Amino acid sequence: MINKIRNIGLALILFPIVLSSCISLKPVNNYATASQKSINQFEDIKYSFKQNCLDNCLDKKINDLNLNAKDCDCKLNEKADSVTLLIYNATKGYIEGLANLSNNELTNYKIDEFTKALTENDFGSVKIEKQQVEAYSKISKIILRALTDGYRKKEIKKYIVNANEPLKVLISFLDFNLSKNLIGKLNVQKQRIESYYFDLTKDATLSTLEKRKAVETYYQQLTKIEDKEKELMVFSKALKKIEEGHQKLVDNIDNIKDERVKELLTEYASHIREIISEFNKLNK
Amino acid sequence: MANLTSQQANQIAGIFLTLAQSIGDYRYKNFERLSKSENQQIKELHFKILECSDNLYTLSATLVMNDIKESLASINHISAQINETYKTLESVQKAINIATSIIDLGAAIISKSPQNIADSIKDLKSVWNTA
Repeated sequence: MINKIRNIGLALILFPIVLSSCISLKPVNNYATASQKSINQFEDIKYSFKQNCLDNCLDKKINDLNLNAKDCDCKLNEKADSVTLLIYNATKGYIEGLANLSNNELTNYKIDEFTKALTENDFGSVKIEKQQVEAYSKISKIILRALTDGYRKKEIKKYIVNANEPLKVLISFLDFNLSKNLIGKLNVQKQRIESYYFDLTKDATLSTLEKRKAVETYYQQLTKIEDKEKELMVFSKALKKIEEGHQKLVDNIDNIKDERVKELLTEYASHIREIISEFNKLNK
Repeated sequence: MANLTSQQANQIAGIFLTLAQSIGDYRYKNFERLSKSENQQIKELHFKILECSDNLYTLSATLVMNDIKESLASINHISAQINETYKTLESVQKAINIATSIIDLGAAIISKSPQNIADSIKDLKSVWNTA
């Protein structure tokens, strides 16, 4: 009877600790999970520096009526892609790690099999009371959860604070390469095709029908380029939200349990999800 | 002379792009007034400037490497630490699973059943390797 009272008392003391650790990491996990899905959309952008180089090379060959298939030098563009991919992988690695570590399932240890092994096995002269084993198992689970969650929270806090500055730099340069440099190259491409097709509309040897066909092709190519730009811009918007959300995490790292902070982080996660949908619509 | 930074390369690429646009617009507006060879010369100039702009945007993207080296190293180090912590926390479940298998083995030894002992050792081995 005394044991039972002691067990219940211990459980009552530990219950709020466990409950509090579950709550405080949930907003972090919501933010990290949404960010993880969003950053992964980089892989859905079916465009690259090299592809831009190959597209330009092909346009030039068509314009020059050149049938030589082996003169596209895209080495520098390949290097630009590899730098961009390196930044993406590092950013993705951190966000993925944060999402995994902040997931409450990680410390939701399963000890039912352990309890079963103790109660159902025959240990000869050693008698083990089923009721007692189950009671201690429950308490052990609570203590284990409280201890590991405490450790997890402490470590996550340290990682978030330390990662903030390098993450900001990496996200801003990933954005820079996509929304400034790659979009810059798309703008160059727009000017090139404008010049090609302008000459076709002024070519006296072409019929009106042929010129109309050329104009139609021009607008089709222009739309394709603009669609790529839109996709890159939406991804850029997502990167900015991820960066802002991480900064908010750092600013409020000691008050994550606070309702206002939880709401703020939930808001960031939902903004990121909205951008994910926007991106997916473009990709349909 | 100091090396060009990624931001500077991007800015110059933008200047070239604007310049190219002005040259292109001039040719489109004055196409009828210009002779065939003048048109060709301006077109070639337009394309050369566009090529400079294009190359500078690509160069800028590669120069980014100089700006991110430290941050890249820091974030990779933190990610490695996160993965270590994750593995540590995950290994608690592994320890529980191993303890469970050891209890089963203990019971099998007490039961003096060679078949049970063999099965329990097999289970323990599999938990050890897979958990």
